[in-house]
Amino acid sequence: MKMERIAAVEKLRLKFPGEGALLFKDLTVSIDKGEKVLLLGPSGSGKSTLLQVLSGLIPQSIEVPMKAEQLKCPASWGFVFQDPDSQFCMPFADEEIAFVLENLCVPKEEMREKIQYYLNQVGLKLSDIHTSIDTLSGGMKQRLAIASVLALEPEVIFLDEPTAMLDPQGTKEMWEMLKEVGHDKTVIIVEHKIDHVLEFIERIVLFNDAGQIIADGPKENILSRYKNEMKEYGIWFPGVWDDYIQEHEIIREHSIHDGASILQLRDFGGFRKKEAKIKVEQLSVHKGEWIVIKGENGAGKSTLLHALMQFIHTTGKYELAGTPIKKVKNPTDYLTFVFQNPEFQFVANSVYEEIAYSLRINKKHPQEIAVRVQELLDVFQMEAHQANNPFQLSMGQKRRLSVAASIVIDKPIILLDEPTFGQDSKNTFALLEWFEEYRSRGVTVIMVTHDDHISDHFATRVWTVKDGHVISDQNVTQQPRVPMAEAYIF
Amino acid sequence: MNFAGAETWLHKVNPSLKLGILMVLCLVALFIHDSNYMMNVTIGVLLLFLCFSGHSIKHMLFLFVPFCFIFISTSSAMIFFGKGETLWFKWGLISVTEESFMRGLLVGFRAMLFAALGLTFSLTTRPVNLFYSLMQQVKLKPKYAYSFMAALRLIPIMMEEFHMIRNAMKVRGFARSTGIKAIYFKLKAYSIPLLSGSIRRAHRIAVAMEAKRFTDTAHRTYYYEYGFSRKDQVFILYFIIVLLAGFYLAIHFPLLPK
Repeated sequence: MKMERIAAVEKLRLKFPGEGALLFKDLTVSIDKGEKVLLLGPSGSGKSTLLQVLSGLIPQSIEVPMKAEQLKCPASWGFVFQDPDSQFCMPFADEEIAFVLENLCVPKEEMREKIQYYLNQVGLKLSDIHTSIDTLSGGMKQRLAIASVLALEPEVIFLDEPTAMLDPQGTKEMWEMLKEVGHDKTVIIVEHKIDHVLEFIERIVLFNDAGQIIADGPKENILSRYKNEMKEYGIWFPGVWDDYIQEHEIIREHSIHDGASILQLRDFGGFRKKEAKIKVEQLSVHKGEWIVIKGENGAGKSTLLHALMQFIHTTGKYELAGTPIKKVKNPTDYLTFVFQNPEFQFVANSVYEEIAYSLRINKKHPQEIAVRVQELLDVFQMEAHQANNPFQLSMGQKRRLSVAASIVIDKPIILLDEPTFGQDSKNTFALLEWFEEYRSRGVTVIMVTHDDHISDHFATRVWTVKDGHVISDQNVTQQPRVPMAEAYIF
Repeated sequence: MNFAGAETWLHKVNPSLKLGILMVLCLVALFIHDSNYMMNVTIGVLLLFLCFSGHSIKHMLFLFVPFCFIFISTSSAMIFFGKGETLWFKWGLISVTEESFMRGLLVGFRAMLFAALGLTFSLTTRPVNLFYSLMQQVKLKPKYAYSFMAALRLIPIMMEEFHMIRNAMKVRGFARSTGIKAIYFKLKAYSIPLLSGSIRRAHRIAVAMEAKRFTDTAHRTYYYEYGFSRKDQVFILYFIIVLLAGFYLAIHFPLLPK
């Protein structure tokens, strides 16, 4: 059966201005009508760029020098981007879809009905279609983005990591919905977390880090034959955690703490705009613990970290190493914090200066600074980039730098807000191992994460937050191969 | 910016017309040199604002606090230090004359009038509605209208980013460093991530807009369509009456000394 070709490129050459090497050299790929294709590869291998070339966004909207012997873009297509916040141009949900309908010159009278129709299709249930986009959650925003793409009535849908900013539950629901709305369309996907996509797609195109296609075929073949490559590229293929656990014996030393608690809370409350957003009855934290804070989106996990950092107003008893928080001049003497978005904490022009920054503020001896920075550059594999501007780094490098810059001065407690979010598996494991290394030196790690694997295999303790309350506090007892040293009693 | 007030007929006046008339009134106010007339017009506009903006009195008074401050500061400067013939009161540098008093009130009321006009407009018009109307009535190019609307979306996002950066600064120990160098550092530390973030966002939004088939052709349909209605006539009529009645009252029943 001869299928109709819907998008194709032959001998594509493309280079980003200012970069030495070609991103693609004579790349050829072709996609038939009705196919569901997943583009896989390490970050920076050019998958997103290829998606933009196939849709025609490059070079029409994004000017990048390129050349191809043949280029066939679909006549009607829609594109869903990674970041839910930067793809809307209107403030309200109905207006955003109306914007697409206006572009297509749909008469005003038909608009309301159509808007309702597309919102229903993506399962976005709004009591009023005139709802402000800012009040929607990340998952709802991505649904809205898909609804506005469906309004284009596209033959081909391009999805560029549409679930990168979503939690596991949101990701799952998103792919279930896409299965429904995409079954009669051609769908081309770039995605790192492939657990749920796999049910949906038939074909995988695998890239290596030089921007070459190393495999292209039915998903079963690729998954079974190219497991090692995928592991090397940091792709989250199914079973990557099991492999990791098998290869790495996780050794737990629970006896790090000496009984004295480093952080104590009683009847503690955190307030945002005079409203209690988080309440803690009683908790105490010891040296060398790895605490994972779990809970649904909006339950108050990040708020708890912000309350501990004193970013927001708090009440109740809060002691750091036995000193009441009111007497503590700088909570940052005890605590450090790694933000979800690393970009917001960069202050210097180069990677080296970024790491050295806190040391310079503390007026450390230049020689001491040099030694410490070198050490961290080494540990976090940033030596080659030490002169670069932090903003030029890749996602994974930015995250590593933000961690390095936060821990440059040893603090007894490190707080992390979703540090492995949007990271590939290689980076994630590297980060987790570093945290484990700090923990084993007696540092307390408190981490907000959605990833159950982290709470199962790395955490020593799990707090669950629901509706602004810490509802459970459990020690993780089942550590592989290591007997539990002693149970904490609170 | 909070548009959470109730909808009134003022919200339904054509936004382009509303903008045009209020701008003309601002111009007219520059040519009024009679304090009585000025006061009457200001009261007329204030009445419209207080009765029909659809916001609670508390909310409106709160918004008026800075404008009352402007009224007092501009008029008092003129009253205390302005030149004049008929001296009422003198104490050191301060000399209040009849002329300076009248001129002070004129300036004060003018400031008040501008405030009332501006607030009346901004509290009864969503920016989106204004740009839709401008595209339809004034033939503003969609390219510019949608750029403005997309830019407005970025403002709350930037505010959020600002808070995050401030917290990040705390973690890195910014508060500890003081002096001119630290101020320069802080300025740089806030502005670079904010600006680079906004530029990146703006670019992404632009690409997303083109991916949604936005082109700069004049031919498109509109989700909100604006025409003219009876409410526009009422709106125009109201200001004509205010101007005429104010003039009449200022001549025949002046409240302030002539």
